Amino acid sequence: MGAADTSITAMGVVASLLQVAAIVIGGPLLLGLMAKVRARVEGRVGAPIHQPLLDLRKQMRKERIHAEHSSAVLIVVPFVFVSTAAVAGAIAPLVTTRPALATSADILVIVYLLLAGSVALALAGLDAGTAFGGMGSSRAMTIGALAEPALLLAVVAMSIQSGTSNVPAIVADTLNHPGWSASPQRLLSLGALIIVVVAETGRIPVDNPSTHLELTMIHEAMTLEYAGPELGLVSLGESMRLGLLLALTVNLFIPWGVAEQTGGLAIPLGLAVLIAKVAMLGVLISLFEVRSAKLRLFQVPELLAGAFVLAMLAIVAGLVTT
Amino acid sequence: MLLVSILVIPLATGLIALVVPWRPLVGWMAAVSDAIVLALGIGLAIRTTSRGPMNALHGTLRADALSAFMVLVIGTVALAAALQSVRYLRVEIARGACTPKRATLYIVLVQAFVTCMLGAVLAANLGVLWVAVEATTIATTFLVGHRGTSKALEASWKYVVLCSVGIALAFLGTVLVYFAAIHPGGGPVVAHGVNTLDWTSLMSVAHRLNPDVLRLAMALIVLGYGTKVGLAPMHSWLPDAHSQAPAPVSALMSGVLLSVAFYALLRFKAIADAALGPAFPRTLLVVVGITSLVVAASLLLGQRDYKRLLAYSSIEHMGLLALGAAAGSALAIAAVLLHVLGHGITKAVLFLASGELHQSEGTSEIAKVPALLSRRPALGAIMAVGLVALVGFPPFVLFASEFSMFRAEVDVGMGWVVAVTFICLVVIFAAIASQGRRLLLGEPAVDAVQETTPRSVTVPLVIALAVCGLLGVIAWPLQSLLHAAAHVVAR
Amino acid sequence: MIGYAAALRLASGIVLLAAVAMLWRRDLRAAVPVLAVQGVALGVVAGTLALHQHDVGLGVTAFLVLIVKGFVVPLLVWRVVRRDPKIRETAPLVNVTASLVAAAVLIVLSFVVSAKITALSPSVATRLVPLGVATILVGYFLLVSRRRAVSQIVGLLLIDNGIALVTFLVTSGVPLIVELGSALDVLLVVVVLQVLVVNLRSRLGTFDLDQLKELHD
Repeated sequence: MGAADTSITAMGVVASLLQVAAIVIGGPLLLGLMAKVRARVEGRVGAPIHQPLLDLRKQMRKERIHAEHSSAVLIVVPFVFVSTAAVAGAIAPLVTTRPALATSADILVIVYLLLAGSVALALAGLDAGTAFGGMGSSRAMTIGALAEPALLLAVVAMSIQSGTSNVPAIVADTLNHPGWSASPQRLLSLGALIIVVVAETGRIPVDNPSTHLELTMIHEAMTLEYAGPELGLVSLGESMRLGLLLALTVNLFIPWGVAEQTGGLAIPLGLAVLIAKVAMLGVLISLFEVRSAKLRLFQVPELLAGAFVLAMLAIVAGLVTT
Repeated sequence: MLLVSILVIPLATGLIALVVPWRPLVGWMAAVSDAIVLALGIGLAIRTTSRGPMNALHGTLRADALSAFMVLVIGTVALAAALQSVRYLRVEIARGACTPKRATLYIVLVQAFVTCMLGAVLAANLGVLWVAVEATTIATTFLVGHRGTSKALEASWKYVVLCSVGIALAFLGTVLVYFAAIHPGGGPVVAHGVNTLDWTSLMSVAHRLNPDVLRLAMALIVLGYGTKVGLAPMHSWLPDAHSQAPAPVSALMSGVLLSVAFYALLRFKAIADAALGPAFPRTLLVVVGITSLVVAASLLLGQRDYKRLLAYSSIEHMGLLALGAAAGSALAIAAVLLHVLGHGITKAVLFLASGELHQSEGTSEIAKVPALLSRRPALGAIMAVGLVALVGFPPFVLFASEFSMFRAEVDVGMGWVVAVTFICLVVIFAAIASQGRRLLLGEPAVDAVQETTPRSVTVPLVIALAVCGLLGVIAWPLQSLLHAAAHVVAR
Repeated sequence: MIGYAAALRLASGIVLLAAVAMLWRRDLRAAVPVLAVQGVALGVVAGTLALHQHDVGLGVTAFLVLIVKGFVVPLLVWRVVRRDPKIRETAPLVNVTASLVAAAVLIVLSFVVSAKITALSPSVATRLVPLGVATILVGYFLLVSRRRAVSQIVGLLLIDNGIALVTFLVTSGVPLIVELGSALDVLLVVVVLQVLVVNLRSRLGTFDLDQLKELHD
């Protein structure tokens, strides 16, 4: 049990704050990086990598305006969306396996924090009562209904292996058992997890983040009613979730470099390794996106059901080998 | 030598038919080979009842009274079918519906089919039994589709897919029995070898087999071989295949193939009885038996096609057999075996007669061939007597066997099963009687086709029906054989 | 060098994974390589067991399985698929999403069913029995939920491969004569189906099982 320490140390708090800062700043940068890679592959120069941060700053300075007939939900949701991602980022094992409150970082807690954010956003999509918002929410929930169980099963498969559902402990255990990363259940759940992450963050081939074509958009449809600082918050939340999910995925399968201690140079080193690993995964995803087309909407559930079965198989693999 | 020659003779005939070009003589030769098999079967029956089981080929083949009885049934029906096959092929070739090449294929496949069935009942090893039963599926698929119409091809597609799935489950069941046999509880571990799946060695360790695994195995076996027997709910291939196949093939399939698969069930049931006690196998068989009866009764009611009528009646009789086997006493098994013989002969006669009808009138719809008794007195009379025998009227053998089965079932406390069976039988009787009336009686149309049935067709059928009637009254020639065979698998 | 247990687990896992892949992909041409992979994995299972137990008979069986299920059968299926103008399972009776969810349920069910088998003789091999049972169930599901003739053949082959997997895992193969017989039977069934498909197709043009509706009550 790598993270069974119940006390909240000062260094743990520092580490958690660092993790939140990392996904708040790193998430938009990651988006920028992926856009840049895409542009380069397509033969364009593309916007600078820090462009999403500049966009955020611009949106934050704008006037707050709200849609007619909208309720308090529209105002509250961006804060819920960002804060759930921030809390998940604080307790998840990103830079170190021993952030503050690491004992609370159960699989269920992290999955449901993210799910709470998704549901909040779906509510916001419905709030203004426009056709597109409702359509986007409906589509997002359809995908979520398959993606969330798959996510849960994929992580459960890993928790069977290490005998705990505490995510920092799983990461720490993987560090101690290097062979686990290549075991069948890990590979199967990796497959499931990547599909789910792609779906949850609305990337190609499930959704296209850069389209506003009403026939196909899912994620963008929900946020159509947002403007100004609220839009900025929602975009921030989205990029935080992307950063968080990629970082978590990468740490569950290639944990090396994560700080097991909170003292000395371990934390800065962990941060540096994390940035390198996530950037690499981001580049890979981006390259994949360039080469593939978005699935037709009705095929998305097939993909996610596939992820579900893969996760199920991961559990089976865990059961037959132990 | 006896056992080997029973297998080799039909196979060799098939091989000869493969190399010589088609002529009616080849068909007669096949019939002669079946007659020899029947004669050898009688010899085998006498030997096994007087001197006990015999082995051949280093224990690969084994015949006890039960096997000998099945050889008799196969020989009888195969002979009747072979006699009719010659005429069937001659007429088809004359009509231009069949080439000599296809006739050769037909004879070869029928001989292979008969050999496989004989192999199944003579196999000592339950795995080999499985291989033989599966091989019958392959041999008969092309026979079902022999007429080459899209309906016949559809029927053979359904037949091969459903039976392959079913028989695959039976294989899984066999494997599980084997698994249980190499891990017996208590006592020494059984050698993991070729003979482990032999029926005799399985029976000797039966009481030590793991009951949980054996229950699973038995369920798979009933489901798997049950598909091939035509027991509901896996029966849906049967009416299609039996109605589309050439009549002699239908006679063979309905008359003996179903019973051969049922024979496999009986062997496994004996093991399950010894390992699990009678309750579990009985429950399984009662469920499939009653379901088959109900399905057959409800589908017979609205039947408009005489070949399908006969096919559904086969499902009914297989249901009766399952119920008789469920009772499991020596009396019940003897009655079951008698029923196998009676049903084999009666159903063969009816299918052969209906094949003659179908071939000369070109339709199998009851409404289109009315008033048989006045238009075709000989064929009509054969069908009338056959139908009466089929629904179990005395003096025919099916009456005696059904009556004994009911008695045995009541004896072991299955009274409610008998009651349900009775209700189904009454419904089935009503259905067959009303369809039979439309088929046999009534006024023929003025320009209707008249009798064209030659003696060569009617005489064997009349003899077969006479045998059925005689066996119902005096079963003594078979008594000691039935007794010995029943005690092989009865509790 | 991977050990006996790891090799056995990996190969058995691939058999089930291939079955699920068959349910996932609707392109019928994709079925051929997937079948081949499954057949080879099955051969590897038998081969691993043979090496572990120094059983020559089983080694022969493994080689046979590798040839028949890994090459010959996929080749025969390919010959059916190749001539088919419609290469996709366009409208399965149950859509792919529901099929995959059903597959997950079937996998759970297979654990329940196999518990008794594993309990009789717990070992590395018998613990893998649920994978074989799940393959059988997925094959059965494919068989009843798809309309194309080729899909039915594939379903039948999945059932067969699943049963072969269970056979190898629980008993290290039944006696050689039975094994030979069953391999031959499988091969013949595929040939029979192939001939039937060709015949039916020449009669009906393209051949969906929906077109087989003449026989009913």
